[in-house]
Amino acid sequence: MKVSFGFFEFFPLLSTFIPAFLSIFYDSGRKWQDYVIAILGITFLFFTYIFFTEDFNTVHSVHSLFDIRYNKISIFIALLYSGSLFVGLFPLRSSISLSSSFLFYIAGGLGIILANNLPTFFFFWTFQRFIPMKKFLKEGRGGTYFFQHLMTLLCFLGLMIYAHSEDLFITPMTDYPASFFKWPVLLLSFIIIYQSHGIFPFHSWVHDMVGTIPWYEFSAIFLCRSGVLLFVQLLLPTLKYDPDFFKILLLSLSIFSSVYWSLRGILESHLNKKTTYFYIAQASLLLTGMQADFTAARGSYLHMLVISIAGTGIFSILNYVQNSYSFKRKSQFYGLSLYFPKLSTLFCLFGLCVIGVPLGASFVVEDLVITGLLEYHQYLGLGHILATCLNGILFFLLFSQIFLGPTPFGDAPVNKDMKLLQMVPYLMALIILLLIGIIPGLFLEKISW
Amino acid sequence: MIEKLFEIILVSPFIWMSLLAMIFFLRIKINERLLSESVRLFCLYMFFTTLMLFVTTLIHSPSFLLLDLEDWIHVGDYHFKIRFIVDLLGATYAVLTTSLIGIIIKFSRNYLHKEEGYFRFIFLLSTLMFGLLIVSFARSLDLLFVGWELVGTASVLLISYFHDKPRPVSHAIKAMVTYRICDMGILAAAAWSHLQFHSTDFVIFPKMLHADPHSFGPVVVGFFVLWASLGKAGQLPMSSWLPAAMEGPTPSSAIFYGALSVHLGPFLLLRFYDYFSHFPSLLVVVGMIGAASAFYATLVGRTRSDAKTMLAYATISQVGIIYVEIALGFQNLALFHMVTHASLRTYQFLRSSSLIQDFVENPMVEHHKFIRRGFFFEKFISQSLREKLFVHALHGFHLDFFTKKIIEAFLFPMKCLINIEDKLMIFDTYLLKLILRKTK
Repeated sequence: MKVSFGFFEFFPLLSTFIPAFLSIFYDSGRKWQDYVIAILGITFLFFTYIFFTEDFNTVHSVHSLFDIRYNKISIFIALLYSGSLFVGLFPLRSSISLSSSFLFYIAGGLGIILANNLPTFFFFWTFQRFIPMKKFLKEGRGGTYFFQHLMTLLCFLGLMIYAHSEDLFITPMTDYPASFFKWPVLLLSFIIIYQSHGIFPFHSWVHDMVGTIPWYEFSAIFLCRSGVLLFVQLLLPTLKYDPDFFKILLLSLSIFSSVYWSLRGILESHLNKKTTYFYIAQASLLLTGMQADFTAARGSYLHMLVISIAGTGIFSILNYVQNSYSFKRKSQFYGLSLYFPKLSTLFCLFGLCVIGVPLGASFVVEDLVITGLLEYHQYLGLGHILATCLNGILFFLLFSQIFLGPTPFGDAPVNKDMKLLQMVPYLMALIILLLIGIIPGLFLEKISW
Repeated sequence: MIEKLFEIILVSPFIWMSLLAMIFFLRIKINERLLSESVRLFCLYMFFTTLMLFVTTLIHSPSFLLLDLEDWIHVGDYHFKIRFIVDLLGATYAVLTTSLIGIIIKFSRNYLHKEEGYFRFIFLLSTLMFGLLIVSFARSLDLLFVGWELVGTASVLLISYFHDKPRPVSHAIKAMVTYRICDMGILAAAAWSHLQFHSTDFVIFPKMLHADPHSFGPVVVGFFVLWASLGKAGQLPMSSWLPAAMEGPTPSSAIFYGALSVHLGPFLLLRFYDYFSHFPSLLVVVGMIGAASAFYATLVGRTRSDAKTMLAYATISQVGIIYVEIALGFQNLALFHMVTHASLRTYQFLRSSSLIQDFVENPMVEHHKFIRRGFFFEKFISQSLREKLFVHALHGFHLDFFTKKIIEAFLFPMKCLINIEDKLMIFDTYLLKLILRKTK
């Protein structure tokens, strides 16, 4: 079926940006919330449709300052972006209140995903980062967030000036010649990619955000995978020309970062922080597979799907539970499985699907990534195994702290689970994750570009 | 015929598990009696199919059947093949699995009557059966890992069966951490063997060793396999979690830590025996670990006062002896010991909960008379040494303390890094505030 461009091309950006700007002048309360969730659902359907429509996978580039493009990877990430947020937010639609700035987060994220050249990417990246920065500056905190983003901003500017000097300013990122990638470019892109993805040593800004902004705003920043996209479009095509030590350095840092976030989570007692560290520890491993080889890269794309869906599911369930019971009390356990038997099972299953337990999606991912990584470097493969192991321990600690043990709340346990209809998005997501784990071939065929 | 029988054995528990999961999520109310009767019938069916397989393999022994099913994962040149080996060792363990799980199901019908988590218990036992059947017949390390992890996950969730009490949850965490650390061994062995032999099919490993007899890599594979086996078997230095795991319901303690899960360690070594026999040094290590664990568990077990903990230490010590038997090359004896020990321990664990009642009501047992029979070697040890040993044994030879110290040493650099990072963040915020004040 032939699908023409035109309105379709700008639909996701228009449908998010216009309401976002309108929301500054006109506040209609909960109506915005319904609109946000509806627009996420429609965007998800839109990207699902074009992902499965082969004719849409064409390169469309206008070579102007503002340049967007639909290709397989960007459509895939956009699909995960809107789909995951929808899965996470739909069951909570009556119990949370989204701020109008969330529309900006979504719009900025979609812009990052669809950006085709450096100026467009830079515009949306700055746009999305600007909202929390404004908040931090107003409150006089978030120093690390400010300085690390300032550094990345300067790196972006440096990269664009360098590209301009080579007459490549508005050229699509994937079209940069190999000769462009001299060491200053490699260094600058390395900082931008690792900082955007929250990888050691440019990761500290995450601490300023964790626990201070709601999980869905945090997810909107992470789910657009700006680091991964930049890496795939900018560095990956030329990585074979790079000196080998650079690749090893990148891989080692990704693995170390995952180990770091996992251990930080294990030592942390604050539940929101713990959950976020668990999520970022998994996300850190995304770049390792992509750098290793073809097999591992396919594993990483699948991993992206798994952690996007399962991660948002975990955040969402935690949020629902937290709305009912405050976690501010100092207690070793909260014993909430007595109150939420179904949700605790779902939480556990989402987690098991992420930490590499067989029959869950992540087992397939780990198998592919570790195999690919070992082909490249055996010690890095072992490092990845260690990171996965620690991540599993962190998840179980998290799960047991929230759901197991005696409850510190005085009231007699009552079933406070969601209704079955409300849980449908979680169940659908879980079925997909289990299907990936049991029949991985079905999904691996589709994730190929 | 044997292929068809094998496929039935492997697919049935998976279908059963899926059915139970559907019942749970669709909130179908199911009568406890109906559930227990249906699961009993299922266990009976599984027992007879595995028994048929056992008899068939016994007739054809020592030959074995290698089965290659379709690729599970296929990307480019990479293939994750589903490979099985149907031999006497696997068939024996499969029969042991289905028979003991059947007994446990029958026992728990009364023991867990009207318990809220009865359905969960049944589901986790089904997961255990599926995992153990995969481990019994797996021919590649990555497939073995699938079964190994399913057993581990079911085990941890059953330890925390009484999840509203803090101790079971803490002990489940302890077991989980030990499992994860040791299960890394299988993953690492699979990864290393992939590099060494370009395959994870362990049947071909011994044949490929002749290509490079002085290579260091194959020893590393063996070491990782041994490491993985220690976790499940509760051998030193991974012993302390096993007595702690007794917090679960007695039937699950019996099946996991008296019978099936704890014997997976020796089973793995028996699976790899042909490979290990090329490395005498590794066999020496296996023997030393087994002997040390047997010695340690015997001493510590004697200082414990509750029946289940004593049984746990007795299990560790017997499994240690099985390790020694394997190291000395007595494979058949080790297998025989494993089966008989698993059966005996299941019986003892199941009786342990009514031990006091037995002493009071059973006319066969003399009231409160614990008669010590036999020859006791303690007589040869001096009183002062005996007292010292007693004190150390009472503290479990400070195994938990040393483990804690190792973990702390591992975490120390990370704590330093976190401290530095926290200080830098404070400095950043201070600097930002200063800049904001100046600009105002």
